Amino acid sequence: MRILLIIPAYNEEKNILSVYRSIVKYNEEHQTNYDVIVINDCSKDSTSEILNMNNIPHIDLIHNLGIGGAVQTGYKYALAHGYDIAVQYDGDGQHDINYVKNIILPICDGKADFVIGSRFIDDKTSSFKSSIFRRAGITLISVLIKLVTGKTVKDTTSGFRAVNKTIIQLFSESYPVEYPEPITTTELLRKNFILEEVPVAMHERTGGKSSITPFKSFYYMINVILNILVVRFRRYPHAR
Amino acid sequence: MPDNLRLAVFLISILLFVVIFVILIKGRMPLKFALVWLIPAFLILLVSVLPNWLMHMTEFLGFQTLSNMIIGMLFVFVIFVCISLTIIISGQKIKITLLIQELSILKNKIEDLEKKERGE
Repeated sequence: MRILLIIPAYNEEKNILSVYRSIVKYNEEHQTNYDVIVINDCSKDSTSEILNMNNIPHIDLIHNLGIGGAVQTGYKYALAHGYDIAVQYDGDGQHDINYVKNIILPICDGKADFVIGSRFIDDKTSSFKSSIFRRAGITLISVLIKLVTGKTVKDTTSGFRAVNKTIIQLFSESYPVEYPEPITTTELLRKNFILEEVPVAMHERTGGKSSITPFKSFYYMINVILNILVVRFRRYPHAR
Repeated sequence: MPDNLRLAVFLISILLFVVIFVILIKGRMPLKFALVWLIPAFLILLVSVLPNWLMHMTEFLGFQTLSNMIIGMLFVFVIFVCISLTIIISGQKIKITLLIQELSILKNKIEDLEKKERGE
């Protein structure tokens, strides 16, 4: 099984090197060979220089595309290079490399098509659960996904997830520009792909700045809710 | 409809036709999009030549005056134009995203190849 970690990065000069080193170190210690591709979304800081100087495999986008466009570039790369599993992995140090094996396991065993690394499955795993408002938003989206697909997703906004080859192909063809996680999850469930959620720990950001503001959160909720409703009424003739 | 007004409307529609044709001849707009403007130009021409049908339509739709109906119709038309423009822009945005992605992936490939050639 060839596994690729897709790491979107925008202005991550403080984090990206340590994130990459932690993956290399993990590979050495555990005899795994997770490949990495960093998608530098036209960062304004020195992210590109750091990637070049340290020989980190990366693609420099020639123009800023936003998270959706950046991650999709990673899926296109995964498709072109014949990877079996693609894992989305944050460049800001929030994700923990030790959980990648848990996330890919259900796909390796053929039990699931896509896996979400969830903060909310059991209370012990993750100490960092984000603020009460964000949790309320995540719960609301979760209820909506349940209504639309009939399936339960606890951590709807987690960016720590793995997909199999079929979904790599789907994502390379089309991927939402904004806030892709809850929307693609709903779409995949509507297409009858099998989801598994596994518990993971997430850390608070180690450096850099989060991009979330109150207005953005409000826009986020409206955007995601409407998008999920649109997915509800779309037809999927080639569903699995 | 007073004759002066009819003449003015007629001239405006001719002017619209000329402007659109000049743009078309210069190749600055494909015919597909020019049609959006040719159809209203034709309607305006029709109004100046045969003004009566507008009166009937005003009565039929229940507008108080002819001018109210014209402004109302124009508003609806402009909304449709705006929606069609939004669709066109969205399509272009998707294509631009595709170009940026493919170009960036290609660039990465070329740089990798160059590195290999230099034996790094």
